[in-house]
Amino acid sequence: MSAAALDRQIRPIYDALDTGSNKSAIVACNKLLKKYPKNDLIKALKALALVRSQKVEESLVLCDEVLESKPTNDGVLTAMMHVLRGLGRQKDMVAMFEDAFKQQPNNEELGTQTFFANVRATNWKAAQQIATKMHKQFQESRYLYWTVICVILQAKEPGTSSDMRSLLFRLAHRLLESSATPSYLSSERFCLHLTVLRELGMYEEAEKLLDGEIGKIICSASLVCNQIRRDIWKLQGRALDEGKLAESKILEKNRNWLEFLVVLDATFSYFTLENDPTDEDRTDCLDAVKKAEKLFSEVAEEDGFRDRSGHLALLELENRARKYAVSCDSNRLLALMQQYFGNFGDKACCYEDLKPYVALSGEEFEKWSVFLASVPTTFTTTEELRRLINALKLTRYTLSTSDITIEAESERAALYTKYYLAGLKLGLNLPSSELQPADDLAILTGNSYVLLWKISNNEIYLFRAISLLEFALIKSPQSFQSRLILIRLYRLLGAPSMALEHYRALRIKQIQHDTLSHLVLTRASTFSLSSTGDLTLASECLEATQIYLSNSQETGDYIVRAFTTEKYSQIPEFIYFEEQLENSLQRDMVKIEHLRMRLTHELISSDIIDMELIELKFIFDRTHHDNRDFQILPDYQPQGVETLNDQTLLFQKSSGNGWLATFLRLYIRILQQASDLDDAVEEKLLIGDRPKQNADPEKQLPLKDRLLIRHEVELAELTADELLLVDFAHALADWLESFHNYTRPPPHVVLAEAARQTELKTGHPLKGVEIPPADGFSNGNGKKNEEPPPIREPPELVVKYFSTMKSRLSEALDELSIAELLHLATLAQEAFLIFTIETLRFKPASVVKVNKLGSLVANFKNIKADALALLKEASAILLEISERFDVSGSRKAFMDACSQLTEIEEIGYEFVSSIGKKMYDSRKKVLEGVGKGITKLSTTYSA
Amino acid sequence: MSIVRPFSASDLFRFNNINLDIWTETYGIAFYFTYLSRWPDLCAVQEDPNGRLMGYVIGKAEGQGLEWHGHVTALTVAPEYRRLGLARKMMDFLELVSDDIYKAFFVDLYVRCANNIAIEMYERMGYSVYRRVKEYYGTLGVGKGGRDEEDAFDMRKPLSRDKDKRSIRENGRDFIVNAQSVS
Ligand SMILES: CC(C)(COP(=O)(O)OP(=O)(O)OC[C@H]1O[C@@H](n2cnc3c(N)ncnc32)[C@H](O)[C@@H]1OP(=O)(O)O)[C@@H](O)C(=O)NCCC(=O)NCCS
Repeated sequence: MSAAALDRQIRPIYDALDTGSNKSAIVACNKLLKKYPKNDLIKALKALALVRSQKVEESLVLCDEVLESKPTNDGVLTAMMHVLRGLGRQKDMVAMFEDAFKQQPNNEELGTQTFFANVRATNWKAAQQIATKMHKQFQESRYLYWTVICVILQAKEPGTSSDMRSLLFRLAHRLLESSATPSYLSSERFCLHLTVLRELGMYEEAEKLLDGEIGKIICSASLVCNQIRRDIWKLQGRALDEGKLAESKILEKNRNWLEFLVVLDATFSYFTLENDPTDEDRTDCLDAVKKAEKLFSEVAEEDGFRDRSGHLALLELENRARKYAVSCDSNRLLALMQQYFGNFGDKACCYEDLKPYVALSGEEFEKWSVFLASVPTTFTTTEELRRLINALKLTRYTLSTSDITIEAESERAALYTKYYLAGLKLGLNLPSSELQPADDLAILTGNSYVLLWKISNNEIYLFRAISLLEFALIKSPQSFQSRLILIRLYRLLGAPSMALEHYRALRIKQIQHDTLSHLVLTRASTFSLSSTGDLTLASECLEATQIYLSNSQETGDYIVRAFTTEKYSQIPEFIYFEEQLENSLQRDMVKIEHLRMRLTHELISSDIIDMELIELKFIFDRTHHDNRDFQILPDYQPQGVETLNDQTLLFQKSSGNGWLATFLRLYIRILQQASDLDDAVEEKLLIGDRPKQNADPEKQLPLKDRLLIRHEVELAELTADELLLVDFAHALADWLESFHNYTRPPPHVVLAEAARQTELKTGHPLKGVEIPPADGFSNGNGKKNEEPPPIREPPELVVKYFSTMKSRLSEALDELSIAELLHLATLAQEAFLIFTIETLRFKPASVVKVNKLGSLVANFKNIKADALALLKEASAILLEISERFDVSGSRKAFMDACSQLTEIEEIGYEFVSSIGKKMYDSRKKVLEGVGKGITKLSTTYSA
Repeated sequence: MSIVRPFSASDLFRFNNINLDIWTETYGIAFYFTYLSRWPDLCAVQEDPNGRLMGYVIGKAEGQGLEWHGHVTALTVAPEYRRLGLARKMMDFLELVSDDIYKAFFVDLYVRCANNIAIEMYERMGYSVYRRVKEYYGTLGVGKGGRDEEDAFDMRKPLSRDKDKRSIRENGRDFIVNAQSVS
């Protein structure tokens, strides 16, 4: 048959793949394969359809067949590229393209693809070699630049020694010198050139480029080039030159604050860290201060209210002059601050602008306070309202500890509320899509109530806070700042479904899942109802994880594209971004939460254990980046107290790397003991590449040792009850370790079983695994030659855990908040599940008999009985409390707490009452759910 | 005061204070990286001295012949930094690069017909309506703007290369085209 005819028959397969109809693609492939059983393209396309339908094992067989034929055909290579990416086999992809390029060294497209395959696998050295070869062969100048950036990327890898680094940069420099065309023909090439010169400290050469006509033009319009130029001048010690240039730019109406900073830095460059300033330095500086003052004053005058730069530069100048003791007028700073407030007090950012300067003391502070107090508290325009808001925020910021009493703070809260209600009148006509100008007053009130809650430890202030902020959201539905606080408060109050409702209203999307999902997913297992089949939070976890999938599927394409478009400045940034997201701390914290939820939902089996183990081990090798955004919470607390973020963290604990590392160790250890997959087995069964070696010395230790590491700083991120759980789990693992190792079937038996399963599924044997002839071990229960390890009594930490928790529960019952109660109960439940996982292997009577573990297993009984007793009680308590919320008495508590608000006409009794009802309903739901879930799990695993 | 610097990929981790506002859409990684991998010099952010992002602009250059122009894809300023001239500065920047580097004839942008604040702002910056594009946007589901919410104005401002101001016209509001007919 002709090629064209075959082509026509293959087209529908592509169409099916494009539209995601993998099933019909497979059917079409099978049909064609009957006719053309040797056709690589059809095989590759079938492999792709299989990968996309999660039929990994079947796809592997085809994939390996095609790879063995060493394809060079474009269509086959492209299809295989997608297959191998789907399987995570970057290394094989590189090898495939390298083989193809070797066979057709004149094929430029193949060269490019081979280069890109290495780029995707971040093999910079190999990529460099290919680019060099391509430059020789095809004489395209861009391949030279590809070589250069690959050399630079090698130099920047964390594992590169400093000697190697400079060697590589010198190589990059030589390559650039060898270029037939000057780098300034493109700003991106120019920029790359400058980067190399900067690294090598070759400032004079850089100067030649920068001071040239073209260099100047490029820097004037390219922010990136200008940034490097700035760096170079700074490194070169050309602070004064830089100052002059910046000055001229400012005179040409450039209002980039960076230029002002340069002038400021130049002004004080007479003082260095190394030497004490001489009198001469001082005079020079004084002159410079005067000159700068003149410049900034002129700018301020010229711009008026249109631009803050000149005004703020004057403030910053005076502030620095004071620091260096060259200020001539001790009243000036205060005068400038007042002036600034006068000019820009009606802009929302005035508060942030002035914050750095308000650390005044004594008489100055008095004057400043009097000034702020003199700002009118009545208003008829939004400008006046904003002035008042700024004055209130600034005053609040410098409150001293003696000002922070329940009485004084209550008065402030009442005052903020009063102004807030008055301020709403200014926004009556705004459409609901606009923010209310008075919103910040509601947020100030919220801050104030949270502070009151902290100093009094009385929940009533949180009740008030949610009532007021909910009201503010009625008036200003788009006020995401009010929502953010509410999310935190509802979690503190043990009303997680309300928190989730507000979180969803934020319409978090894409990358925001990484930076903001911490709001509802941190320690989310506390509130999870997965045990009862309600997967709301578990699916929230999965949804938040989509972005990591997009990252691994898409970002690489853009790194490659940046090579094609020669946007060298973007390449390191894209790579860094990809890395930062791939190794996101939040990603893996969510993973742990999801695992904890999963264990309460699915029946614990060796399948789950093995799958989760492999995944956690991968994660354990990562160095995590914390991309979580905590800045987003609107914090208006006084400078001496905790930030709003810290104040509203669930259980008052900020968790991060330490928390994650601790839970990873715990679960890997437990799952590893319970699993039959030892390292040798895993190596054979694993599809896809291993993660790159991590340079961190701790991560180089054998896994066994890493799991036992305990760092106090890390443990400090845990709550007391989490710590108890961790100690319990490790004690349990210490106790049972030798018995697991003794009982676990040997690797060849496990592999044989895996091979048998694969063959059943795919009809092909598992590659690289030989099934040994059946012997006495093949069912894993064969008699052992050696004796079992000596049976020991269970350790104290294990025996006592459940009774300790039981007394904690009853003793602290009246002191605990709902959230804390749930925390305790869910942790106790988790301990029980950990115990279940740890003892799963010893359940079959035959295993116990063959391994002579009868007296070990006898110990389990008592522990389990204690656990079940505790869980029973915990469940009963949760259910009992949940019923309390039906009684009007508890609802009345809420209304009493909010009596000041219910009296306000605009807010009213009905509204507050509806908020109280929602909160109690939410509490009731979670208490009931968790309570019933505990009972359900107790029953499931009681036998 | 604000620092103008290039838009960097990692800014996606830090733009929540801008993007949580309902008028600003958060797109997938591919969207931002498409721009950064082709027109990084037309993308910039403004940040305050503490490193907090205040606003950003994302643009591109496209079109054939006399239609060769700079395009503003997104321009946004966080609510607390509005009315400080930031949008104006970013537009100045984009016009400068479109003019000096790309030698474009004009700069254009799309704006919801209901977004009066923005339309007025652009008019004051020298932009004028070139045409009305039907159903350019999906509905936001907030206001009662009706058609004005879904339709967009294509607004243009000629650059130095367009000496005869051929890229603009009067009564642009009366020229109505379909969304399919524009890129
Ligand atoms: C539109 C937007 C970008 C303006 O940003 P900005 O930094 O506040 O604008 P500027 O301070 O540079 O204002 C420039 C001029 O626009 C006009 N303007 C801006 N906001 C205005 C408002 N709320 N009301 C009236 N005029 C306004 C004014 O004429 C202003 O000049 P002036 O302050 O000297 O009078 C900002 O409001 C925003 O991000 N909105 C949400 C996103 C959006 O709508 N983008 C535009 C869609 S393409």
